[in-house]
Amino acid sequence: MTVQDTTAPDAALGLAGIPHTGEAVTADGHLTEPQAEDFHHARSAPPQVDWYKSAVFYEVLVRAFNDSDGNGTGDLRGLADKLDYLQWLGIDCLWLPPFYASPLRDGGYDISDFRAVLPEFGTVDDFSYLLDQAHKRGIRVITDLVLNHTSDAHPWFQESRQHPDGPYGDYYVWSDTDEAYSDARIIFVDTETSNWTYDPVRGQFYWHRFFSHQPDLNYENPAVQDAMLDVLRFWLDIGIDGFRLDAVPYLFEEEGTNCENLPRTHEFLKRCRKVVDDEFPGRVLLAEANQWPADVVEYFGDASIGGDECHMAFHFPLMPRIFMAVRRESRFPISEILAQTPAIPAGAQWGIFLRNHDELTLEMVTDEERDYMYAEYAKDPRMKANIGIRRRLAPLLDNDRNQQELFTALLLSLPGSPVLYYGDEIGMGDNIWLGDRDAVRTPMQWSPDRNAGFSRCDPGRLYLPAIADPVYGFQAVNVEAHMNNTSSLLHWTRRMLQVRTEHPAFGLGDFTELGSSNPSVLAYLRRHGEDVVICVNNLSRFPQPVELHLSEHDGCIPVELTGGVRFPAIGELPYLLTLPGHGFYWFQITRPLEEGEPQ
Amino acid sequence: MTTRPLPAVTSLAEDLPGWLPGQRWFAAKGQDVASVRVERAALLVDGDPALLHTLLDADGERYQLLLGLTDEVPDHLRAAVIGRLADGSYAYDATHDAELMGGLLELFAEHSAAGGLDWLPEPGVHIQTGLRARPVGVEQSNTSIVFGEHYILKLYRRPAPGPNRDVELHRALVRAGSAQVAEPVAVVRAEGTVLGFAQRYLGDSAEGWATATASVRDLLAEADLHAGEVGGDFAGEAHRLGAAVAAVHADLAAALGVATAGQAEMAAGADGMHARLDAALAQVPALAKREGVLRAAFDAVRELPGTSVQQVHGDLHLGQVLRTTGGWVLIDFEGEPDAPVAERNRTRSALRDVAGMLRSFDYAALHMLAGEEPDHQRLTRAAEWADRNRAAFCAGYATVGTDPRADSVLLRAFELDKAVYEVGYEHRNRPDWVPIPLAAIDRATAAG
Ligand SMILES: Nc1ncnc2c1ncn2[C@@H]1O[C@H](COP(=O)(O)OP(=O)(O)O)[C@@H](O)[C@H]1O
Ligand SMILES: [Mg+2]
Repeated sequence: MTVQDTTAPDAALGLAGIPHTGEAVTADGHLTEPQAEDFHHARSAPPQVDWYKSAVFYEVLVRAFNDSDGNGTGDLRGLADKLDYLQWLGIDCLWLPPFYASPLRDGGYDISDFRAVLPEFGTVDDFSYLLDQAHKRGIRVITDLVLNHTSDAHPWFQESRQHPDGPYGDYYVWSDTDEAYSDARIIFVDTETSNWTYDPVRGQFYWHRFFSHQPDLNYENPAVQDAMLDVLRFWLDIGIDGFRLDAVPYLFEEEGTNCENLPRTHEFLKRCRKVVDDEFPGRVLLAEANQWPADVVEYFGDASIGGDECHMAFHFPLMPRIFMAVRRESRFPISEILAQTPAIPAGAQWGIFLRNHDELTLEMVTDEERDYMYAEYAKDPRMKANIGIRRRLAPLLDNDRNQQELFTALLLSLPGSPVLYYGDEIGMGDNIWLGDRDAVRTPMQWSPDRNAGFSRCDPGRLYLPAIADPVYGFQAVNVEAHMNNTSSLLHWTRRMLQVRTEHPAFGLGDFTELGSSNPSVLAYLRRHGEDVVICVNNLSRFPQPVELHLSEHDGCIPVELTGGVRFPAIGELPYLLTLPGHGFYWFQITRPLEEGEPQ
Repeated sequence: MTTRPLPAVTSLAEDLPGWLPGQRWFAAKGQDVASVRVERAALLVDGDPALLHTLLDADGERYQLLLGLTDEVPDHLRAAVIGRLADGSYAYDATHDAELMGGLLELFAEHSAAGGLDWLPEPGVHIQTGLRARPVGVEQSNTSIVFGEHYILKLYRRPAPGPNRDVELHRALVRAGSAQVAEPVAVVRAEGTVLGFAQRYLGDSAEGWATATASVRDLLAEADLHAGEVGGDFAGEAHRLGAAVAAVHADLAAALGVATAGQAEMAAGADGMHARLDAALAQVPALAKREGVLRAAFDAVRELPGTSVQQVHGDLHLGQVLRTTGGWVLIDFEGEPDAPVAERNRTRSALRDVAGMLRSFDYAALHMLAGEEPDHQRLTRAAEWADRNRAAFCAGYATVGTDPRADSVLLRAFELDKAVYEVGYEHRNRPDWVPIPLAAIDRATAAG
């Protein structure tokens, strides 16, 4: 019967012969789903509570990192083969964007089966192998989970549109008209005109906050809530270390509201957290809520008990402001957003980043600032996407090594756990001629060999061409070349990560901005117990003097952290430093040697 | 160490005439001091070092001095020594002594009457003690001490009897709920005279001048980009600054009232401008060929029906505003320097402040070019920076108050009046800078 054919995604998604949702349908109309027991489970990561507070994250696209089977597309086994590199670099946790079965109309965020891996990437057992190998090296792995919606190819949706009265009939938000929830904004303004789309099969409209091929799940339905909690359990059982929960503000809808951040959305997140705390302690939930920090803190939950929703959340507005501050040679764009950032619960941590697989998001700046950012960083209109800029770090910074180091130093020292984006550690470029956001998703550049050492395939088969321009092309920019040159950006990044790991103040410490009369210098103090670190950043391209008021540390010796050089002791008078253009210092504040103390 | 201070320090009167003219805050610059008399001296802190409060009369001008007295001067205070007392001890300018200054907080905290002075925290303010003191370390006309990251105490070097404008306007603004001032925390008074004024220290701030000139520096380092194109564009800040100044004006008007100046007052205002021009013309020959257009601009003010007047800042420029993490703050409401107290307290058009700030943008734009061989390209680009930020300031002002550009006749007259003053000042002090206000006069008068 045709109904059965469209329900089973085998044909379209290549899941034939692989365990997947909807392989069979029970007599009462339920789809059978793969269970965690059917797969290998990975060994555990070394136990450590609060690991996420001082971890360095690395976002890597499975598709883009390493191709183990020569089909032109990176895969889970290929990524596992590169874990030694990531361990050497000093990464604590990988963040993998979705690797689930998907028609790939939204980079895999359109999930058609939560319990199957995209066949190009491998299988659930391959993932389990990756996880096991990562844990062996002390590296954790988290992945995206889209709670808000599925692909329209998901068997749940197929069932829902075809059997309004079946067990899945109420899994999505259906309506006879397209009028409800009219106060909700349209997020993808470039492509969508409404949050409702008519489905001729069911003869009703369905609700979608993102693309029309991504129907929103109906969280009013307790069965949906339970089904999604079981999806969490499925991967946690296999051994995953946590989830970045995508698009969390949109789970529930309510007439007369903008349908974002509703109380019931928070209630459901508390249920997710309880599953983690009760059944899988040590795993984390990271909220992706592209909103102002004052609103995002809600996603940490109740501060009086240390937080009972997500452990982490991305700090979105900080990133464009780092760019703005350096371009304006003024610390205030950064100071301001940090001052507006509320305190977070004891168990919580921000995730901060310079670049990721999405565009440089400009939703969190004023219109005037957005125009400014476009003018400064997206000189070619092709560099713009939605409300943002699609470029990698190095080209955004004109490939200027000093600025790349300054930006990275800021990322590693501002409050929050830093998330690096694959390839930025070697200063990879982008290809703005590729459609959508693919500009920043090209193959990782391992060596000057064919296909940048990413794949053995015929270059024409690559999922995207490797960057080949004279400046950023893989002939010049690749891991091998950087490995062979100890003054490379890669080695520099590695040393900085080492320094960061040695000082708990970076991950766990409080943050105090140190004012100075020089508006181009951003200085701050991070303190965790005895560990006191001072970071001084020159946001200007010109050398700058700065006088810091450090007399609280009178008599102490600042020791520069990358070279261990002892600076003159701090006295009563303002501490004078001079910084080269775009220069920065990290100091540890150490107490002076006592008389007779062995040295 | 003596406990009878006045007789002990009278002998210092011999050293002071030599010492005073070297101080930045000394008013009669470049002139000798004939006689100094110690009017009042009182012990604030006993011991060695001891702290003494004094008021001096130097040729009829009154100055405030805090003296440290010690038998042995530590190295770091050697440069602050003024002279020796009869008993062999040394007297030095105590504002350089962090230890002695730190003790002032205790006097405030205790509501002390030390030295016969009133040490008065503002109502509801609890003064934290034990903070490290340091001089603020910028060029200023008074002397300010910073305590930890908490307070800044301005010691008025030339205290005048009667209500203190700086204090009163700050209080009025805070009562009005203004977010654009640093909150007052304490005053120290002798009878009716305010000697010192402590406020919340804005440790995260940078001066407007430093912030603006960072932007100009960025512009001039580029060969040919326009002011709106370079990374260091300041227009956004100028816009916010305009809104902050307008908010202060609105709060001052609401708290202290607005009046209307009629035609007679406009005419008197024009007379004042003409008089200042007369004085400048006598000194600076280069002004002569601009006399006609200047007089015409001032006379145009006589034709105006009137304007609204209120309390204003009175001495507004980029050095009187601080960019803090929370936005722009205005400081130092003492009013026009060198003007007598009654004059300072007069109500004025708020456009006076606007004109002051607009002139300051011009200075910020051009200061790097002062003394350089004139370079058309650089001058044009600096002028473009000034125009862009002056316009942004006015546009920002207009988001809260009336667009200052709507009152073009008055605004132009105020700006030109200010520029005339600048010409005179630069002629006396920094001849290389004279072209800055002269060029501004030429631009403004050529335009209309
Ligand atoms: N509340 C404050 N917080 C931080 N710095 C301040 C504050 N008030 C003044 N300053 C600093 O002190 C300097 C002198 O202050 P100001 O009141 O203008 O004194 P003066 O009347 O002597 O010029 C200012 O230029 C500014 O750098
Ligand atoms: Mg929803």
